[in-house]
Amino acid sequence: MTEVLARRRFRGESIPESIEAVHTELDSLWEDADFVPEMDRMTFTTAVIEVASNIIQHAEPVGQIPVELGVDISVWPTRLVAKVSAFNAKEPFASPPETGLPDDDSEAGRGLALIEALVTTVTFERQAATNIWILTRKSRTVA
Amino acid sequence: MQFSYEVKDSYTEVKGSGRLNLVAASKLREVVAEVVAAGSSRVAVNLEETVFMDSSGLGALIGCLKAARQAGGDLRISGVQPQVKMVLELTNMDRALTPYPTAEAAFSDD
Repeated sequence: MTEVLARRRFRGESIPESIEAVHTELDSLWEDADFVPEMDRMTFTTAVIEVASNIIQHAEPVGQIPVELGVDISVWPTRLVAKVSAFNAKEPFASPPETGLPDDDSEAGRGLALIEALVTTVTFERQAATNIWILTRKSRTVA
Repeated sequence: MQFSYEVKDSYTEVKGSGRLNLVAASKLREVVAEVVAAGSSRVAVNLEETVFMDSSGLGALIGCLKAARQAGGDLRISGVQPQVKMVLELTNMDRALTPYPTAEAAFSDD
């Protein structure tokens, strides 16, 4: 029987300040789920913030309604799962995204490579003007 | 995130306390631009109290490193905490931004 051991959700404007709100939710989640190993908390937090920042920086609205950011993070007995959504957003990729690392001089373009290095799986879905990234990381949270 | 800076003998120490994320990245760029414009192009960024950094924060550090070098100086980092160390290593940026134990040690060899 699998069940969610801890969960936090956020939905709000797709603006830089929302990153702080997502961080606050993550901190609060780890307080509830202090049994999750420190390394898993650190890597998963970094991945979730990377995806949310990517949405805030790049997601464009479909019409007049602004893009909204949604984050749903859950702790399961053997894994961590985050669903990060851009509501009312255009499809993000005109072509498959570059996932390698750029030159040392480049000030951007490391987010996707970093996300891939931090999680076990990352999948992308598009449903009704919503872009959804699902991140999972294997973590043995229950001894 | 809070930033402060202090002019030392041969460098200026910039301290950042909090999370170096999308919000703080532009603040860091402003602070370092101010330091460099004031004539101090040797910048030691003390990250002892920086508990988190994402790729936006890393991008800002790289931008600041370029600004310092263009002004004839350099930017070095110190007091790196585990999460920041992880991001530097996973992006292979620990070569260009080698962490020093302290801000003082960052410019002690030249």
